Formats: sequence, structure tokens, C-alpha cells
Amino acid sequence: MFKGFSLLFMLLLSLTAHAENWPAEQWSTGPTLSGPAIQALETYAFPPRDESTRKGIRTDALLVIRDGQLIYERYAGPTTADTPHLTWSISKSLMAAVLGVAYGEGLFKLQDPVLKFYPPLQTHPAITMADLLHWASGLDWQEDYEYAPLNSSVVAMLYTRGHHDMAAFTSDHAEYAQPGQAFRYSSGDSNLLAAALKNIVGPARYPDFPWTALFEPLGIRHAVWETDATGTFVASSYAYLTARDLARVGLLMARDGRWGDRQLLPKDWVAFNRQPFDRYRANQDEAVPGGHWWLNRAADSAAQPWPDAPADTFAALGHWGQAMYVIPSEHLVIVRYGDDRDGSYRHNELLKHARMAFTGKVQP
Amino acid sequence: MNRRSFVRRRPFSTLWLILLIALLGWIWQERVALWAFPDIISAYTAKEYCSCRYVMNNDAGYCRGYVKQWLPFSAFTDDPVSKQVMVSGIGRSNTAMWIGERQGCRLTP
Repeated sequence: MFKGFSLLFMLLLSLTAHAENWPAEQWSTGPTLSGPAIQALETYAFPPRDESTRKGIRTDALLVIRDGQLIYERYAGPTTADTPHLTWSISKSLMAAVLGVAYGEGLFKLQDPVLKFYPPLQTHPAITMADLLHWASGLDWQEDYEYAPLNSSVVAMLYTRGHHDMAAFTSDHAEYAQPGQAFRYSSGDSNLLAAALKNIVGPARYPDFPWTALFEPLGIRHAVWETDATGTFVASSYAYLTARDLARVGLLMARDGRWGDRQLLPKDWVAFNRQPFDRYRANQDEAVPGGHWWLNRAADSAAQPWPDAPADTFAALGHWGQAMYVIPSEHLVIVRYGDDRDGSYRHNELLKHARMAFTGKVQP
Repeated sequence: MNRRSFVRRRPFSTLWLILLIALLGWIWQERVALWAFPDIISAYTAKEYCSCRYVMNNDAGYCRGYVKQWLPFSAFTDDPVSKQVMVSGIGRSNTAMWIGERQGCRLTP
């Protein structure tokens, strides 16, 4: 009896020592917030929605986690807390997290040639895993589609010539640069990673690997990840999660790959994700690429892409306004789903309003 | 000498001929992309509608608007029993099908 009490006492003591919130089956909720800063945020993120013109900012979901607790959540359009929303290119950063688990098992190294795990890449033997994670394969890929649909590699990959086997379609591209020497954003690079993973973990583990490696340990119950006809995950585009579930991945990243007592992603893996790619040139993209995540870092003489957010902010970003921002220094994770059909949404504006509302801070 | 005189006598025909050869050359060079191009609208519509409806579980009316593009499609069938979506447009047809809880939708075949 006495032994039991002392054990309980020790347990309570250790709980207060690690006063850290983690979601269980549901997120615990923090105090409900209101006031002019919240109103300003909502005015920005949730203007009246026009379904016929589809113009302007069209937020489907906005969710904020602070210190591991849900402190703000709002949905619009058809999206609810239960909707596994299409994440588009946020999938790329999710694949990076899945790969991180395999990396932690010692199954590959960053400097391994991709060819080792994906034999059809014989024509490009020098491409390494790190090169793909930096979107620096050197393959002559055309990501643009709105302006050059005929030659868009990504449209052909998802819908026409490439959809049966997206990694093989990517491998067939010529090289325009030496691998690892230049940044060019490529959905093909991400799908080569997904194909490499098949042999990294083995074909038996592969079909369930994102769930066993990442989703289940985080308590994510309703993730969907579509594949091509060869069973390769469409790592570039097709993962679906509820906003609440995606935020779990954000909390994992905010805490350096640790989930509770378990270091799910090695710390050096997360450090690699957050390290700017040194061959990136100013204004090549809307933020600075790290290892399959986007960073708010000054790079190549250009200022931070999002001046109203701290320099440690990093993000997973997708088509039509999908975004998850992680700000470790302010213990914030922000998930924003959208259906923006024009380019009017601004990451910096959302971050500015969110920081005003949830940290009371204006400048980083 | 003969060729020069043809160019002199028919400057416009020569120009059209050069443009035609250039166009044919471009068509030949882009033949793979051009042949695949008409599939985009029906494949995109079938795949993204299928996922909107059966993965994100949005209602049919919303999903019809969600996949709307500037080019119209000519036929659209959504079979809720087999969760199969067939779309035709610009002379091509494509089908997407819901595979399962984790795998979502995929273009077939």
C-alpha cells in the first residue's frame, strides 16, 4: 500500500517536472480566446466566400496549437474537423517525416545514391537522397502548369503520361545540371523519394509504412495517402489529413522529432530538414528550401521570406493555399487549409495576424 | 538560281512554306506531349472529383464545382456504388476509382 502511494507520488512529481502537453486521443484545449486581434485574423482569413467566381482568400480550415494545446479552430466551406483535407505539396514534407523514421532505423544515409534503392535511375547514378530532399536532382523538370500546360511535367505526371508510374516518368527526364548543384522545385524529385522508400524499408513493410512509422505513433487515425498504379505513394501531392491530425506532425517537428518520451525522428534528421540548402538562390521560390521543408531564413543576400515571423519559422506548403507553419520559439503550430484559386493569400499576412492574436507580438 | 527566282517570284508562298515546315517540325518534336494533352481535362476531373467525393467526403454538388475548369467536359458519370467516376472531354475519356480507406482514389487503368 505504502509502496503504491510512493509510486503515485513519484509519478505526480515527474508529471509536474515535464509540464508538457501532448494530445491523447483528442487535443486538450486551452483557454478560448477573443478580442480585436482574433477578429483581425478572421477578417483576413475568412472573408465572405464567393463560390461562383472563386476569387480571393478562401480558407477551409484554420487551427492553432500553442504549447501542445488546441487554442483556436475554425472551419469554412464544406470542411469540418472530420474532413481529411487534400494537403497537396504538404505531402512532400510528410514524406520527409516518414523517411526520417527509416533514417532513424539506420536504413539509409543522406549521401547514399538513390540508384541503390531505385534501380531504374541508372541514367542518373550520381543523384543522392540529400539531392532529392533539396529538390536538386538536376533533372530538367517543369513544375509550372498554369502558364505552360503542354510541357508541364507535373500535369503529365499526375494525369497523363506519368500517372501509371510517376518515379519512372521522372527518371526519363534529362539532366540540366549536375545533381546537388542547383535548386529547382520538382514534384518528380519527391516521388523518386517515395519510390526509393519501397526498397529502403522493403516491399512488405512499404504499403503500411507511413501509418506504422508516423501516423499511428502520433495517434493519427484517418490519414489517406494515394498511390500510383505501381503502389508508390504520390509523395508530391496526395496525402489527406484532418487539420487536427496534420497539427500532430507539426508538434512533432516543433519538438525536434520527439513525441512524448520517444525520439521518433532523429534530431540530426530534423536539423537537416531545417538547414537551408546552400545552392538556393534568392527569390527562386516563395521560401527557402531545407530538407523537404520550407524555411523562413535569410539566404543568398535576400531577406527572410516572411519578415513578420521569427527566423526559426518553418513550413510545409501546398497548392491552393495549403500550409502548416511551425514556430518552435513561440511554441506555435498553425494549420491552414484553403481553396485559393488566385494568388491573393499571403503567408506573411496570416503569420502576422496569427502572432498578434496568439502571442501578442508584432515583430519577431 | 532557280531557287532564288522562286523565292523572288513567290515571296509570300516561300514564307508560308517555311512557317509550315517549322510548324510540322514543332508538332513532330512535341508529338508525345500533344498526343497526351487532350487527356488532361477528363483525367484531372475524374481523379480530383473522386477524391473530393470519396476521400474528403464532400457532397456531390460541391465537388462538381470544385473540379470545374475553363474547358467543359462532355460526359460525367459518378457511380456511388462502385465509387467510380468517368469523365469525357475533347474526345478522350478517363476513369478514376476509389480503392480503399488508406489508398483513396486512383486513375484506371
